[in-house]
Amino acid sequence: MNVITQALSAIPGALIAVIVLVGLAPLAEGLLRKLKAIVHSRQGPPILQPYLDLAKLLIKEDLAPCANWIWRMAPALCLGGTIVLALFTPIGGKPPFAFSGDLLVFIYLAAIPPIAIILGAFASGNPYAYVGGSREMMVMLSVEPVMSIALLVAAIKAQSLTFAGILERSAAEPSISMGVAGIAFLLALQAQVGKLPFDIPEAEQEIMEGPFIERSGPGLALFKWALHARLMIFTALLVSIFIPWPHVANAGLSLLLTLAKMAVVLALVGVVDVVNPRLRIDQSMAYYARIVVFVAVGALIFAIVGA
Amino acid sequence: MTSAELIAKLKERFGASVRGVSEINPNKVRVEVAPDSVAPVCEALYRDYGARFIITAGIDSRPERGCFDVDHVFSLDPDKTFVIVRASVPPDAPSLDSITPRVPAAYWAERELYDVVGVKAEGHPDPRRLIMPDDWPDDVFPLRKDVKHGDWPSLGEENADASYPWKPAPEGTSTVVVGPFFPVLEEPAQLRLYVDGERVIDCDYRGFYNHRGIEKMGDSALTYNEIPFIAERICGICGFIHSSCYCETAEEAMGIRAPRRARYIRSLMLEVERIHSHLLWLGIAGHIIGFDTVLMQAWRVREPIMWLCEKITGNRKTYGMNLVGGVRRDIPQEIQPELLEVVDRIEKETAAIIDAVVGDTVLKARLSGVGVLPEEKARELAVVGPTVRGSNLPLDARVDHPYAAYDEIPPKVITHPDCDNWARVVVRLEETIESIRWIREALKQMPDGPIMASDIPEEIPPEQWGVFVVEAPRGEAIHYVVTGGDNRPARWRVRAPTYQNLQALPYLIAQETIADVPITLGSMDPCFSCTERTEIVNVRSGESKVLDQQELLRLSREATERMRGR
Repeated sequence: MNVITQALSAIPGALIAVIVLVGLAPLAEGLLRKLKAIVHSRQGPPILQPYLDLAKLLIKEDLAPCANWIWRMAPALCLGGTIVLALFTPIGGKPPFAFSGDLLVFIYLAAIPPIAIILGAFASGNPYAYVGGSREMMVMLSVEPVMSIALLVAAIKAQSLTFAGILERSAAEPSISMGVAGIAFLLALQAQVGKLPFDIPEAEQEIMEGPFIERSGPGLALFKWALHARLMIFTALLVSIFIPWPHVANAGLSLLLTLAKMAVVLALVGVVDVVNPRLRIDQSMAYYARIVVFVAVGALIFAIVGA
Repeated sequence: MTSAELIAKLKERFGASVRGVSEINPNKVRVEVAPDSVAPVCEALYRDYGARFIITAGIDSRPERGCFDVDHVFSLDPDKTFVIVRASVPPDAPSLDSITPRVPAAYWAERELYDVVGVKAEGHPDPRRLIMPDDWPDDVFPLRKDVKHGDWPSLGEENADASYPWKPAPEGTSTVVVGPFFPVLEEPAQLRLYVDGERVIDCDYRGFYNHRGIEKMGDSALTYNEIPFIAERICGICGFIHSSCYCETAEEAMGIRAPRRARYIRSLMLEVERIHSHLLWLGIAGHIIGFDTVLMQAWRVREPIMWLCEKITGNRKTYGMNLVGGVRRDIPQEIQPELLEVVDRIEKETAAIIDAVVGDTVLKARLSGVGVLPEEKARELAVVGPTVRGSNLPLDARVDHPYAAYDEIPPKVITHPDCDNWARVVVRLEETIESIRWIREALKQMPDGPIMASDIPEEIPPEQWGVFVVEAPRGEAIHYVVTGGDNRPARWRVRAPTYQNLQALPYLIAQETIADVPITLGSMDPCFSCTERTEIVNVRSGESKVLDQQELLRLSREATERMRGR
């Protein structure tokens, strides 16, 4: 099989990944808004409202406070990076683009959307965006190590740097270290996807959406869509690697099962989001640097000693 | 210490500088002192006799006595006594020694004194404008009698590019501008934060963008019985406070008192207002720290009390109930079971919210130890309301200076020892429950009888005065009335609680992070100005163009002219 046919064979899987993780992301956001409304004793917006919001923003004028090319490029880089990331994300089975070392590629790619947000924020010249950008950077610095260590635990257990190998192994053989790593990943998920109590970079009431304060129209739409998709991608990764049971061979059935499990995790994220106030950035940093990272390191130690 | 003892002490200490004493009753005295000993007398009151500064009122008495009167109002809280220190200054280039260096709480009051009456506070540490717009002419003082209401100076081109002299940013800081349309609270005010990274080093405040000149209306366009309706419009949340306070003050100046039942009705509506205001505030505080569940639930719980207000008064807010001498509407017997049922339900649901809020560790971590205002600083800045009670000082106008029906049923004063944002939250929550208890008690004891005084005099002599404080949800509001001719006051001075509390903001947020600024401000439940008036100017007539400040000013002024002409 040559390279071209190999690439062609990945197309159906890639389409499914993009449709599920990026295309359905606004739907998931709509469901989360409905959940929030129920807790608030409100009726809430229609479930498809996020699509309408994005459509509205996409046809609006794109106002630019500066002629900076970084500022103009950032939304596309953010959503583009997110779509590419989706192609490396396992949804129950191996990711569409699977090769040896795809795990490492995922970790690298995962940093691109936040970096796009930070660059765009700094380029806008707005002091609120500047504060938001630096907060985004601090969140990234405190969350990425936890996620990387959790994935490293999975790699050690499976003796493999491919998602395919990890999935096979973790489904077959539950272990303490994988359980603990899963908990660490779950704790990091809340900040990774910018939900309360960790929506600190945007903090509408403090710094008025921070990095996005100068954004309007299509630029804002791309950022928003990327953020919705980010939630899906990391939830899919969590569910696929750390909660792989029950393992089914049928690809379609496996996809549906994964979506059901994702719905449960998303509901959990949504409930935490709705029952918490926002933390300060220093409190959030302390939480990850002093507590969550030790959970992850604990998992690593278990993995090394073979538990 | 009674007021007689205090005056004896002042006379002994300052001798002939103490010129005369005017007294309404032993709890309300006005001491006339020589202008050059105002500052030492005020300092003695504040430092040695434990008095608390409340407000300064400048009065243009040139038509009557050929001078300006400057009245510094102090309160001796434990003795339930007001002491007003009056100095009369000559009409040419009037000035008086500033008391701010000795009594720091007079910081804004003396800036305003110059702005509106033109009496200069010599030696004030920060003599910038406070109230009037930056381009207001330097020689027009709106509360002087020779300035007629509505006959405002045309804001000419010569001052058009005047701008507020902001404090320079300290070395090594960058400036974050919040406002002039203040986000979150959605009111007109501008805060400049001088920050180093996320940390606030210093700040500067400019407000009064929507100053409505209500005091001027009171002493030149309205009559005694029209003022309550305008007073109620000072605030959109606690308007009844202002109309009640004005009416009590005017009644005192006229030497009458509202009947008992009317006073009970006033107190009941005041407590109802406190409940809905505290719940409103709780929602906003939740929203400020991103806890929208608290916002939605608190406002849902609050809603039935708004319906009840509509049933009693015809309006959800701005009840229009008060008149000098009593109230216009009774609370009918048949509505009382419903009132009790609504407060029962609110009590139950508020208790559930309190449990959830007090038990929330994340919330507590977010609020504790932030925005700390120690007791001695709270006293120095003379802050009021839950802000001062959160600093463990039991100051409450309902107990310190009883008005309406509070002399018969004193409420419990809630304090908290933590002196931080958390303390102020807890104080408000407990006060909501206490208000509910008070309402139940008052309904039990409410007497029958008339709701309007029958002995209102036809003619009200000039130069009478009265002063009252009313405990608003945000702290005490003060009204000070000096009667005049033409069936209207010669001076009607109002101070809303936020006026005093906001002066503590620079202290509260220094060294905190940007993230804590909104909630620290919110913890005082500020109310900058309560009615927004927006003018929309269409700048896209064919082509879009960039508007400079001159052009914007011109457009804005044209729009004002159009509105005037209508």
